[in-house]
Amino acid sequence: MLAKRIQPMASQAKRLYVELMFQVMGRALQAVSEVDGEVQKEAQALPEGFLFEMMVMPEGAKLIVEHIGGGRFHYHGDSAPRAVDVSIQFKHLTHAFLVLSFQEKTSIAFAHDRMLVDGDVSYAVRMTRVLNRLESFILPKIIAKRAVKEYPENLHLPEKLISAAQIYLKVATHFIQTARA
Amino acid sequence: MSNSYYEFFCPVKVIAGKAALEHIPYELGGLAAKRPMIVTDKGVRAAGLLDPVIAACEESGLEIVSIYDDVPPDSSTTVVRDIAAIYRKEKCDSIIAIGGGSAIDTGKAVNILVSEGGDDVAKYTGAGVLKRPLKPFLVVPTTAGTGSEVTSIAVITDEKKGVKLPFTSSYLLPNAAVIDPRMTLTLPPHITAATAMDAMTHAVESFTCMAKNPLSDAYAAAAIKKVSHSLLQVMDNPKDSDGRLELAQASTMAGIAFSNSMVGLVHSLGHATGAICHLPHGLCMSLYLPYVLEYNLETIRGPLGELLLYLEGPEIYAATPASRRAEASISALRKLRDALYKRCHLPRTLKETGKVTEEQLDAIAEMALDDGSIMFNPKEVTLKDARAVLQRAWA
Repeated sequence: MLAKRIQPMASQAKRLYVELMFQVMGRALQAVSEVDGEVQKEAQALPEGFLFEMMVMPEGAKLIVEHIGGGRFHYHGDSAPRAVDVSIQFKHLTHAFLVLSFQEKTSIAFAHDRMLVDGDVSYAVRMTRVLNRLESFILPKIIAKRAVKEYPENLHLPEKLISAAQIYLKVATHFIQTARA
Repeated sequence: MSNSYYEFFCPVKVIAGKAALEHIPYELGGLAAKRPMIVTDKGVRAAGLLDPVIAACEESGLEIVSIYDDVPPDSSTTVVRDIAAIYRKEKCDSIIAIGGGSAIDTGKAVNILVSEGGDDVAKYTGAGVLKRPLKPFLVVPTTAGTGSEVTSIAVITDEKKGVKLPFTSSYLLPNAAVIDPRMTLTLPPHITAATAMDAMTHAVESFTCMAKNPLSDAYAAAAIKKVSHSLLQVMDNPKDSDGRLELAQASTMAGIAFSNSMVGLVHSLGHATGAICHLPHGLCMSLYLPYVLEYNLETIRGPLGELLLYLEGPEIYAATPASRRAEASISALRKLRDALYKRCHLPRTLKETGKVTEEQLDAIAEMALDDGSIMFNPKEVTLKDARAVLQRAWA
């Protein structure tokens, strides 16, 4: 009986968590593209105006970023100005929660068929590398190791701390600007 | 509770063995098809491989309404449109694709157009676009390697845009795959070797990459055993129809395995090398396999060690200490490649191909990094890593 009452609350909590994580990740993608040369190099191979989406099927939470040129991303929130070019779609809220709560690595989630790629796979591979790089920066090493296939050996603490601080500052600023607007 | 999870799907009826071609009329009848069209290439026709298929159908009173025998090695949207037009004009109601990967992929793409309508197959590119079953479709492979007869993907070149269009849907799978040893008896030695090593690589990567699962493992292990046991026998005696059947079955089994578990870095490098240097796919697979296994070694030591049983047999497996089995598996594959080089000069290094320059390695590494299969490689691959593997494969 108790379990039946708790289940909708747990589901709602998962939904809110995934929505919040998408908002953080979207802003963090924009931020990391402003501070990290490696990410800029990866993004520069994407066409200008390229729209990338991550979403929960069928009509769940989503994040949309655009490559605005020069390796920089712009976070569009959850609505795209036009049809997206590449969409990574979680088949279910639970699958998104497993990945975004770092219980399942992104690469494992792909291997487990938790996600679909709609669009050019090579761009999706590139965006996954960007997401891995972002996670390696903003998560403590012990958690990042649960999120990415392999924690980058050449990412040392000073670089990680400085970059993470810059990214978090930019994310917080963006949240405040959005709230004010 | 473990986080393990997998999906496995293969609804293709496999019709294999002696006189398998003679089952085609019955299978088409069961699908209410009476006016089949054959899609194939000139090489298949010149080798006389259509004759037993046509004879098998005629003996059962089934007329082959149309034969398109001009599929190029890299099929295009234009070819697909032309074949679909002939299919409609001749009022065909089913397709039999006979050939290697290109003819089979073309058959899949034609089936999209003739089932869904229209002239532009590019509209259906991507995953999950098709929403309903297509026309009756049979596949008769004439090489033993690609496994295309059991995969739900087709790749067709869009000539106008100069890009390769992937089509992915379970509806692309044929109703039946007909594996008849007569269809591979005349394969030349170097193609026999390269395509069998393609099947071997499908199976080895399926068994060692990230989406491996108990069902794909079973198919992969059986495929490796068949290739290890039969390949050199067939190379020494090309008319060995039992051995040919073993290789053809191995190819289908490896196809079932990898289409349910995906592949890894060998394929990423192979796709890039094929695109840049125009080397045949099977050759690239054979070439890169040991170098990539060495790169992945510490992440795949367990499953790679298990494969020694299927590569070398129980005596050598039992005599090899568990801690050395992974290395012994790589050695077994190297030994097989050396034996193939001795018999048909199947290249073992990029230099031996004579078609790759050292200056191209950077471009190959960069392209490989964006290949979809790299996602399923068990070890993360950076540009530097890919370049290092290529350097080892150079000479």
